[in-house]
Amino acid sequence: MRIRLPLLLIILSCPLVVLALDHDNLDPNRPIQMEDAYAIPEGEIGLESGVRFNDRRRGRTGVIFQPQIIYGAFRNTQIEIQTDLLTEPLSAVGPSRSGDLHLGVLYNFNTETLQLPAFAVRVEADLPTGVNSRGIDTQITGIMTRSFGRLRAHLNAGYTIVGQAQGLERNGSYRFVAALSYPVGYPNRFRETLILDVYTRQSDLVGQRNNTGIEIGIRHQLSSRIVVDAGVGTEFYGPADRAAATGTVGLSVGF
Amino acid sequence: MWKKALIVLLLVSGVVAACAQFEQRDKRFYYRALWNFALREDLKELDIDFNGIDFGHSHLYENLLLTNAEDVQAIEDRARKETLRFIASRPALPPNEEAIAPTYMKLAWRAQNTFDEAHALHRATYDIYVAELSSEQREQALEKVLRFYKKSPYAITGHRLDHQRLDTLPYSKAFRRRFPLFNATIWAYHYLQIAVYDPLAAAPDLKSKQQAVQPILDRYHRYLAEPPVAWTFMPLTAEYSPRFAQQLPEIANIFDNLHMLHDTISDILTSLSFRTWDEKRQEIYRALDSYYLASADQTNPMIIPVGGGQERGHRH
Repeated sequence: MRIRLPLLLIILSCPLVVLALDHDNLDPNRPIQMEDAYAIPEGEIGLESGVRFNDRRRGRTGVIFQPQIIYGAFRNTQIEIQTDLLTEPLSAVGPSRSGDLHLGVLYNFNTETLQLPAFAVRVEADLPTGVNSRGIDTQITGIMTRSFGRLRAHLNAGYTIVGQAQGLERNGSYRFVAALSYPVGYPNRFRETLILDVYTRQSDLVGQRNNTGIEIGIRHQLSSRIVVDAGVGTEFYGPADRAAATGTVGLSVGF
Repeated sequence: MWKKALIVLLLVSGVVAACAQFEQRDKRFYYRALWNFALREDLKELDIDFNGIDFGHSHLYENLLLTNAEDVQAIEDRARKETLRFIASRPALPPNEEAIAPTYMKLAWRAQNTFDEAHALHRATYDIYVAELSSEQREQALEKVLRFYKKSPYAITGHRLDHQRLDTLPYSKAFRRRFPLFNATIWAYHYLQIAVYDPLAAAPDLKSKQQAVQPILDRYHRYLAEPPVAWTFMPLTAEYSPRFAQQLPEIANIFDNLHMLHDTISDILTSLSFRTWDEKRQEIYRALDSYYLASADQTNPMIIPVGGGQERGHRH
């Protein structure tokens, strides 16, 4: 595994000099793939970055850098620009390629009430700006958040339409994530949220089993503006090259 | 056949009830400026106590709701002491209020968002008073944050409300009568929040600002140890920061009205007149929409006309 340490340090340290997203507001990949139904506040700008390693059962271990900008463009609406930079760009398969520009909008319909969960929809487009990338991939995801006391449950259900599938790649695939989050430390401390999810998604190539796994992560409010996160996971079912172990560290800065 | 009809009826009732509770989240980021977090960075002692206060209201509302305000010991002893323990823990950051009061937040989110935006205005004014700004820069900054605040549909009216009249609603005083210790603790928070403005404004530099707020912090902590139960009304800005109230009457009115809204909601959550959570929610929203939000200014019967005289003095 080749980790470019200087690059990693730059990505992790740059946002520290600026101004944080709330540690209880859960965005995808920070640090695990689930998200809650809430957008960041109107007017907030968030800079997020993370480093994710994927130790596959077959094939080389990959490292992914995930810089992202989030903007609370309107009340209950956030827009996102993101890219994934892979250390093994040529070996990537499926809709997400190294260097693709990812544009997304999350709209939160409502806040949770005593009778009604919170609902949101996310619409995304991946522009083929990356290595060996063709066609515009689009994705739509429905998100629901329901709390039970301090425990919050989240469901994400998405479908990706691949713009121009290559070789044995699927033309489209679904993804389901079920997650729980819990603010640890009440009533003395309010700086950490623990997150757990299980997911299943259709494999990138046809004829293979669903990638199915479990992840656990924590988000820690470091200062008024900075949240750091870390997570680990494994895929216990799926194709032969599924992830044996994944790990993520990242930070989010809101200003 | 009748079973299907019953299921359909239940489903329709569920959807209608759910739609009746449909509310948008509408969170808004605070006014962005170079002086953001000046209080946290430069006057930590005061900021830490404000962080402690953020716990108090949410923890009270959650406990009033979950106990139906019937268990005096649960509020006066347990919940109050938990609040004091949190304050004593010297929190460096504000707590996550949705983790403190998950039930209350689902009951009356719109009222909570009203609090959040007014608290953000509070925080902004402290930052402005602590930051190294000239008088002119401070005035301009205060004007900008007030303008930003007033743009929100969740803004509390900047007009002076008739607090005495608001304190004569059918359920008024229910909280302070049943829970005098916790009520006096809440009023002690409000004392701290408003008493620091004039001393901060008068102090020329950071060191003197730190010195100026220390007696107020000492007095506040004495109030926490021995809640001022002899008080008969909440502290008002004009009593403790008269120059601030005179120079910035709209902001002072917003803070007094905010503190009165806290009292009104405590009374609704305590009152036996509202037996169900839904009834409490309806009354919270009725009071909010009719008496407190700036959007009701044209019809609000509680607004004191300009020149309507000073509010009666209070016994502190």
